[in-house]
Amino acid sequence: MIHLEHLSKAYPFGTQTLWALRNITVTIAPGTLAAVVGQSGSGKSTLLNILGGLDRPTSGQYWLGGQDVSGFDADTWAHVRNRTMGFVFQAFQLIPTLTAWDNVALPLVYRAVPLAERRARAREVLTMVGLDHRLSHHPAELSGGQQQRVAIARALVGDPQVLLADEPTGNLDTDTGTEIMRLLKHIHQTGRTVVIVTHSSEIAKECNQVISLRDGHMTDGGGSV
Amino acid sequence: MSWLDSIRLAVGGMWHNKLRAFLTTLGIIIGVGAVIVLVSIGQGATHAVSARIETLGTNVVFVTPTAGTPFSERQVATIRAVIPFAVQVVPIVDAHGPIATAVTSGSAAVVGTLPDYLKTGALSLGTGQFFSVDGLSLDPRIAVVGANLVQTLFSGRSPVGQSILLLGQRFRIVGALNPVGQGPGSSQDNTVFIPLTTASTLMRTNQLSQVIIKTASPNQAALVANLLTNFFTNRVGSNGVTVASEDQVLQTLQATRATMTRLLTGTAAIALVVGGIGIMNIMLVSVTERTREIGVRRALGATREDIVLQFLLEAMTISIIGGLVGIGVGAGMVLLAPDWFHTAATLSPMAMVLAFVFSAAVGVVFGLYPAFQASHKDPIHALRYDG
Repeated sequence: MIHLEHLSKAYPFGTQTLWALRNITVTIAPGTLAAVVGQSGSGKSTLLNILGGLDRPTSGQYWLGGQDVSGFDADTWAHVRNRTMGFVFQAFQLIPTLTAWDNVALPLVYRAVPLAERRARAREVLTMVGLDHRLSHHPAELSGGQQQRVAIARALVGDPQVLLADEPTGNLDTDTGTEIMRLLKHIHQTGRTVVIVTHSSEIAKECNQVISLRDGHMTDGGGSV
Repeated sequence: MSWLDSIRLAVGGMWHNKLRAFLTTLGIIIGVGAVIVLVSIGQGATHAVSARIETLGTNVVFVTPTAGTPFSERQVATIRAVIPFAVQVVPIVDAHGPIATAVTSGSAAVVGTLPDYLKTGALSLGTGQFFSVDGLSLDPRIAVVGANLVQTLFSGRSPVGQSILLLGQRFRIVGALNPVGQGPGSSQDNTVFIPLTTASTLMRTNQLSQVIIKTASPNQAALVANLLTNFFTNRVGSNGVTVASEDQVLQTLQATRATMTRLLTGTAAIALVVGGIGIMNIMLVSVTERTREIGVRRALGATREDIVLQFLLEAMTISIIGGLVGIGVGAGMVLLAPDWFHTAATLSPMAMVLAFVFSAAVGVVFGLYPAFQASHKDPIHALRYDG
């Protein structure tokens, strides 16, 4: 379970303070498919970065799986992300010098999983996303949709409880985007919590919880749809 | 992250930029190769000289006049009178000049000396004979040649009975020496020995270059050195003549060797540091280029330590591979192409170990800063980096 309480994030901006998030209180129950929606600059990505521990809140509490993680340092967060979370980015963020196979296996490297086991597990998830015939291809040799599927496979390889997706369909055409959404919903159906940042109301409609942000504030209490 | 994975990652990083990695490695290869070659030359040269001096045995004293001090047969007679117990007192005139046979020519060191030189034990006769007192009286134009000259002038065939042109005069070769090994400058192997009086006549001087005194024991040598030092200090002042036992000459030589080795090692160390700066430069470029990759790795669970290790090991891989190849190149040059150095280079295992350790250390020192820079990138900014 993810629970945020009176969570705020401020950035110094010249002599002023810019509030990216203000007094956010929200609970995302395990197994929820949640959407974070809002205009550009509303604080969506900041919220996702804080959920993933890439950024720290200025004030307020963040409870993850019953534990207060607000004070975790960067390296503790690295462990938490590696073991409980998967990330999907708008720009795919695959490492260009690695094959699809090695990209997917990467999170397991930081878990010190032996090579053979890593490769077997990576092949498994690549098969699940329908790319077992592209194992040895580099990102540049794959289409945008295929790259995003590799990225999703990479997010899933460590069997995380939470999947955080930042505009996962933002760089894709409509058909491919639909395909990726189908995949994310399928992942949700396997019992995982999926949080998708999006500005698409279409996608938000398909989720069972919508967190709506405007200028860093929640506009509707973040309740379930 | 396991060590094996870190090393795999470091090698992979190099592999994707093969040319760049090679050029960076080249700096270390040259540095390490230079250390090994230079130290080997330095040690080899002094080894050869010490070996030559050591062939004279420990009971030897060298008397060498400083430039400007008159020193001739008269002084030799005085020495004989002062130390009647000397086994041999052998005066030497050093010269250098062109040497030629009917078909080939070159240059050689010339030593004018007495037949007694053979008895000091410094020379080992290969074929023929050394000039004897009788021979000298009969024929002043006879010569004994060093082993190298036999090779270069007579293609290794026996030169005994052949004639050579030396210092403008025709000489008949009566003997050839066994090889002793090379030293810097005129070594014995590259030397022609001719009778002392012939050398003095040809050079129109009765000035001697050195007197070698052989005694019966090392203790006697020390005694003689003391005696002669006092004697010549009273006669010509302390700067006119240098008296040194074999020990003292070797000590001077060893001091020279130490200075030379320090100088060469210092030069080579500078080359290695320059190589290290090359590594740092390339690692900084690599860290900037791979900013997004660093962001991705952090997002996927890499700790700062993992990132430090990744880049540090990459720098060390470059320097260690450079070190190993450098040792190969340096040792290969010393062992396979000794002629390039015009001296007998002695491969120094110590230099090889030191060069390798130093190159690995260069990788650590010059890899640390880029690695820390990489590990301190903010993952959010790194993920957005648009290089």
